[in-house]
Amino acid sequence: MSANRSPRVFLAYTGEKARIVRAYDYLILVLALFLFIGSFHLHFALTVGDWDFWVDWKDRQWWPLVTPLIGITFPAAVQAVLWTNFRLPLGATLCVACLSIGTWITRIFAYHYWNYFPINMVLPSTMMPSALFLDAILMMSNSLTVTAIFGGSGFALLFFPSNWPIFAMFHLPIEAGNSQLTLADMFGFQYIRTGMPEYLRIIERGTLRTYGQVATPLAAFCSALFCTLMYALWWHIGLWFATTRYLKKI
Amino acid sequence: MMKTSLLKKSHQENSLQTAQLKERSESPLNWLLLLGIVITIYMLGIQSAMAHGEKNLEPYVRMRTIQWYDVQWSKQKLNVNDEVTVTGKFHVAEDWPISVPKPDATFLNISTPGPVLIRTERYLNGKPYMNSVALQPGGDYDFKVVLKGRLPGRYHIHTFFNLSDAGQVMGPGTWLDIGGNAADFKNNVQTLNGETVNMETYGLGNGIFWHSFWALLGTGWLLWWVRRPLFIARYRMLQIGLEEELITPLDKNIGKAMLIGVPVLVFGFYFMTVNQYPKTIPLQASLDQILPLTAKVNAGEVDVETLRAEYHVSERAMTLMLKIKNGSDKPIQIAEFATGGVRFLKKGILAPDHSNTDSLVAREGLALDNPAPIQAGEERQVTLVAKDVAWESERLDGLINDADSRIGGLLFFYDDLIGERFISSITAAVIPKFN
Repeated sequence: MSANRSPRVFLAYTGEKARIVRAYDYLILVLALFLFIGSFHLHFALTVGDWDFWVDWKDRQWWPLVTPLIGITFPAAVQAVLWTNFRLPLGATLCVACLSIGTWITRIFAYHYWNYFPINMVLPSTMMPSALFLDAILMMSNSLTVTAIFGGSGFALLFFPSNWPIFAMFHLPIEAGNSQLTLADMFGFQYIRTGMPEYLRIIERGTLRTYGQVATPLAAFCSALFCTLMYALWWHIGLWFATTRYLKKI
Repeated sequence: MMKTSLLKKSHQENSLQTAQLKERSESPLNWLLLLGIVITIYMLGIQSAMAHGEKNLEPYVRMRTIQWYDVQWSKQKLNVNDEVTVTGKFHVAEDWPISVPKPDATFLNISTPGPVLIRTERYLNGKPYMNSVALQPGGDYDFKVVLKGRLPGRYHIHTFFNLSDAGQVMGPGTWLDIGGNAADFKNNVQTLNGETVNMETYGLGNGIFWHSFWALLGTGWLLWWVRRPLFIARYRMLQIGLEEELITPLDKNIGKAMLIGVPVLVFGFYFMTVNQYPKTIPLQASLDQILPLTAKVNAGEVDVETLRAEYHVSERAMTLMLKIKNGSDKPIQIAEFATGGVRFLKKGILAPDHSNTDSLVAREGLALDNPAPIQAGEERQVTLVAKDVAWESERLDGLINDADSRIGGLLFFYDDLIGERFISSITAAVIPKFN
């Protein structure tokens, strides 16, 4: 992953050339901001959207399994471009920041003001700690393999504990209709969703509930394994989609 | 010669102008302008949706899955925080369509434009239930849903069933007027440890705090890099082999701090939260099992066998040939045939109206070849004609184009004194008559 050319004298740009180069930086940053707000948010919403939209979808099994798995895709691809060509270790943080901006805009304007859901019912999860960890691993290791194995695993393993401070309080038990529910379940029952009947929730299903009712660590480690593979896959997708053929003429 | 030259020049200028005009008229800008005008005119005429797409559901699904009756709303005007109750009954058709998955997971829902009301209670056969429920074909159920006004406005509300892998089967609807002030809405819930929480705001400040905290660290990391020349400068340096200068020792120290600090913070906050909320439980995902009531439809006293069903396209009329055996001890009359959300009533029968919904009612839509009461113990063959434009306006006549063109519905009988009611479900393949 290191540059192949031998060191030679480097003449830094000065004057107007430097100013133009800096303006180009800002131009790309602004474009990248809008591009990733749109594309990553869309990708995320279409794949693991419901787990992130609704408080009563954030379970112990599927939420910590699938969210990091999809969440690591764009960060891996953008890291591949920014690290390989520019040695910028901010791809993951940039993507996750853009996703957060898009997510919050949607939750406030589309879900709350347009569709009347209380915002606490549609609080998004955060992947910022995972992204910071992933960027730091890449910078320190300068290695796709190390980042995929340790960064990818860390990305998944940090997800659930990062979000528990936000969502634990929604898992307090209540009694309703002669049954035990969480406050999160009660949101789903009370705030009417015509297109989202309860049985559509993909939660607490499958055979991961082993080891004495402890499901979350299993889901997290399973996600960690998949994330290492997903990271490597999307790193190569990032390289495949990106090109520096125009920069070679500068 | 000079005149000819001038004419030629003028002709050339005209050709040039024509070409320019043509080019201008074909430019994408003009097309965009035209598109903008069309969209603007279209948007000026947009009205609120007054339906829920129920007519687009295949007729055989509407007729042969959930057969609603006696649906009532306790009131149609209420204020924010007031409660309104909807009650009713439904029969799960025995002749459940082969292409629709069996109702092993269903959800009794309310069709609203978002949570303008909240659902506070829901009962099936008198039993409260919170999640989804399995229904039994041939079963009879009654239901009750309690709603509480949340946002003022005038809304068209339906009861309906979400059927797993099949879609929505609409029940009767009505208009609700909710008055008052949205800011007055209150929704408090008590947890098992005795804490009362306001569902409208609970956990919001905490969520914003944690998102802001991590966003601050993320922004700091981004600014740390963005403050330096980025793309072209770094690309040139990397290409020339100055990789070491792109990541400084300070950057690496910060990276080490992040590698250790971020997990430490994450797990530190996690264990703090676990200590703060030690009594949390997983999301509850049970499927309720509620047995049907004792039979209300096909209860055994009145037996109906459908011999033949014909749909006369030009007359918008369904003709049903039925063999009816009155096993009760009193004379009975056919008063109503209900199918797919349409009620066909027989003229002259003063059957009590058990529903105050805005269901489509064909008041004189039912005719019999022999209207005389069916005496106790009598078996009679009856030809019944359900005729109304509703077959077409509700798109129920699409049945003849369905892959499963069978009709299903409920037949209501009353004794001679308009007292006791008997209900039978009927079903038959439909033969279209095009002339």
